[in-house]
Amino acid sequence: MVDRFPSPFDVATPPGAEGWERMYDWYHLFGEERREADEQRFWFQDRLHHPDVLHPYDEIQCECWWQALGAFNTRIFAMPPAYGVDQRVLNGRLYVTPIAAPPEEVAARAEEFARRAGHYYEHWDDIYAEWKHKVLGKLDEIRAIDFEPLPALEPDSVVFDHVGFSSGYRMIRDFDRLVLTMYETYQYHFELLNIGYAAYVNFFLFCRNAFPDISEQAISRMVGGLRVDLYRPDDELKRLAKEAERLGIGEQVLGSSGATALFAELDGSDAGREWVADWNATADPWFLIATDPGHPGGYHTYPTWLDSPDIPLSAVREYVRRVRAGESIDRPTGEVLAERDRITAEYRELLAVDDVAVFDESIALARKVFAYIEEHVLYIEHWIWSTFWSKSRQLSRALAAMGEFDEAEDMFFLRRYEVAEALYDTVAGWSVGSRGRGADYWRPIVAERRRIYEALRVAPLVPALGPPPDEINEPFTVMLWGITSTTVREWLTSGGDGEVVTLKGTPGSRGVVEGVVRVVTHVDQLADVQLGEVLVCPATSPAWSPAFARVSATISDVGGIMSHTAIVCREYQLPAVVGTGVAVATLRTGQRVRVDGDNGVVTVLD
Amino acid sequence: MSSPAVVFLDDAPPRRDLLGGKGYGLVRLSVAGLRVPPGFVVTTAAYRAAIPDALRRQIRYRLEGVAPDAPVGDVDRVTAEIRAGIVDATAQHDGRGAVDEAYARLSERCGTEAAVAVRSSSAAEDAADRSFAGEHDTFLWVRGAEDVQRRVRDCWASLFTTRAVHYARGLAGGAVEPAMAVVVQQMVPARSAGVFLTLNPLNGDRSKVVIESVWGLGEPLVSGQVDPDRFLVDKVTGEILRRDVVVKPTRLVTDPGSGRGTAVAAVTDADQQQPSLSDPEIGELVRLARLVERDAGRPQDGEFATEDGAAPGNVFLVQARPETAWSHRAPQPVAAGKTAMDAILGTLSGFGRGGSDPLQRGG
Repeated sequence: MVDRFPSPFDVATPPGAEGWERMYDWYHLFGEERREADEQRFWFQDRLHHPDVLHPYDEIQCECWWQALGAFNTRIFAMPPAYGVDQRVLNGRLYVTPIAAPPEEVAARAEEFARRAGHYYEHWDDIYAEWKHKVLGKLDEIRAIDFEPLPALEPDSVVFDHVGFSSGYRMIRDFDRLVLTMYETYQYHFELLNIGYAAYVNFFLFCRNAFPDISEQAISRMVGGLRVDLYRPDDELKRLAKEAERLGIGEQVLGSSGATALFAELDGSDAGREWVADWNATADPWFLIATDPGHPGGYHTYPTWLDSPDIPLSAVREYVRRVRAGESIDRPTGEVLAERDRITAEYRELLAVDDVAVFDESIALARKVFAYIEEHVLYIEHWIWSTFWSKSRQLSRALAAMGEFDEAEDMFFLRRYEVAEALYDTVAGWSVGSRGRGADYWRPIVAERRRIYEALRVAPLVPALGPPPDEINEPFTVMLWGITSTTVREWLTSGGDGEVVTLKGTPGSRGVVEGVVRVVTHVDQLADVQLGEVLVCPATSPAWSPAFARVSATISDVGGIMSHTAIVCREYQLPAVVGTGVAVATLRTGQRVRVDGDNGVVTVLD
Repeated sequence: MSSPAVVFLDDAPPRRDLLGGKGYGLVRLSVAGLRVPPGFVVTTAAYRAAIPDALRRQIRYRLEGVAPDAPVGDVDRVTAEIRAGIVDATAQHDGRGAVDEAYARLSERCGTEAAVAVRSSSAAEDAADRSFAGEHDTFLWVRGAEDVQRRVRDCWASLFTTRAVHYARGLAGGAVEPAMAVVVQQMVPARSAGVFLTLNPLNGDRSKVVIESVWGLGEPLVSGQVDPDRFLVDKVTGEILRRDVVVKPTRLVTDPGSGRGTAVAAVTDADQQQPSLSDPEIGELVRLARLVERDAGRPQDGEFATEDGAAPGNVFLVQARPETAWSHRAPQPVAAGKTAMDAILGTLSGFGRGGSDPLQRGG
């Protein structure tokens, strides 16, 4: 068995992808100047947040968390053992490595952390209320931005309201605002996230110490099950399904093909109009849901439910069918909560007397932070990132309409600094009544990058780089990415071409089930999922929720016990093995597998 | 004499002095509404009435005559004589009629001449602080009134096995006032059987139930002659956290020739590597074990059997008693006196130390 992954400097450029480095920011690349340090570090591919090759423009998503996570861990809360998570882009894919704090600093950092994070824990509910206000304010700011092609003559208002600046200037200004507002929002994202995780991990390990063999699921069941906004979109789909039945239009909803045709058809009756009005009122904000297979909101390429109403409609149809089959479609929230309280009380009773106080304090804190851990995904990943990408696409259409690009999508093959350049080119040409260099300048660059992008996408995956540490001891790597010493060993040993019989992952939700595999890498493919199949996917987001009503178990490539997949499968009481790393690449649709959610093992049966 | 010579398990006063440890445990199970095989207890009152005063004095005199450091052979000889004396002297004891009547009732309930287990139930055993495990005699697959009568007297006599005498002296300085009840209980034709413990004996963790089981009767397991399947179950969630299933080539069954006594039989190839308990049976057993523990107010161990048929109705507890090794100690605190912040700091800095994945299941 090899004991290390390839050096980043030895990974070949895929054929046809020569020159890929020019697509990404220079500071994001491995470079000869820091070769010595970088070759000593262990890098793993961040398929949780970025499962696909990055478009140059989308690199901003990585930058946002690179800086914000780092600053909060390293500089703001002084997370005792952990600095930030460093990033590099190689062959269009994002690799990350957590940086440990120097051991001699840990004691002093611990003191600071207690003071600083302690303040947050003590005032968590108030701070979270403030936080929501702040973050939803940013959403309003981004929503107010509007990119239209610049007018031939400025409207009267520019003159008679004494605006004092041109639409061209405003376009340049608003692009900066768009980027900065997004950047600012991601500061807030990490304001609460990692200290929240620390409190959660603490409770987790406390339980492990007090009850040595306790399962991950038992611990998270003591904390989860809250009625949080993250589940609201799926609840709204169910409500719309029941409404359709109540209004007597269930048959119509089931029958028609596309959302557009259906809505037109429903316009013919009072009941239909009432339902469509309900749909429209619900859609903003609850259908502002990103459909990425990885971390939601990570790419500009995936539509939201709002952009593609066929996606939520197919879910509503599924719920109508299930209501008609006499099934209960409501999440068993009451049961989950009752079970949570029962489990908690029974473990508590079994504790040593002297541990009860710290147990009470730790679980109360874990539950408080857990609401944030779940809900921030909706507010930031779905609502704000989706709006950011939607505004970016609006800008790309405006620039294409003004001749800066041949087609709107071209803009996303430019780095964000290049987009600022293109914008200035357009605005300058518009302002003086001349024309910029525009599409003629970008055409060969974009054409080359499109070729490279396709070549990168089909290149074989390299899951990790460099020498793995003896043990993975960075709390967030384990909790969030589901990457453990065991995972890394699996990666090292599964390099061969031998037939894979078992996959190991993290037990995400208990239970053992056998079934037929359905590999799904894009939310569009969810329609193919047959009742009772085992869903195999890179990762899931709330956009995938309707699938959980149909499948018998889930296997994901990425994610730990706190991943969306694991949380939702526990809610639906489906077995799940998460963070297998290679399920999508290894398993084929139609294969029979056994999913052992108790032990985190998937066995191929044929 | 006001105390009865025989009481049925489902209608007995819960008195340890009358029922002995084992009988008392069974009555507690029965009162708690748990399934136990039907049966009766020949009480310590019957024993006391059956032993003439002269014999009792003689026994005491003879035991006192054995020096604490006497050779084992000498002790064996004395105890054998005492036991023979008891069996002889009780041949026509006053409680015979009550035992016959109870056995007839039990047989009537079973629809046939009942096959029973006749078990010693000394007043000293199975108390919370001492187990007396295996010090007195147990007879399985006893059938017919005469045999039952004889085994009851054998159990009385086994109050004075060398082991029991040593054990009593070692633990209680010989101050135990000897009295023996006898449990007569219908045999469960066990498909599988075994023991349970309502904590993990490896670390004292009280959130677990440990189960060991074998095919057939549980006796070879209890006496440590065979390697059993072993299950670790979470008491609170019911998750089966570990399963160690071993190859089990033989099982103990009722003697197919005589229908009395037991015999070793081969296990089919197909069953040898199968777990001797199904998941629903494990689930039911854990539920029963928890009820017993709740009722007793402290960790318990005990024996169980399953018969052919569907879970949960086929799972029986055969006995339960207080766990004696860990239940004296309170659970050890893991974070005593810490605040949540202390614990968080400890968590963050101690993460990953110890060479294993901290969030992976151990083992």
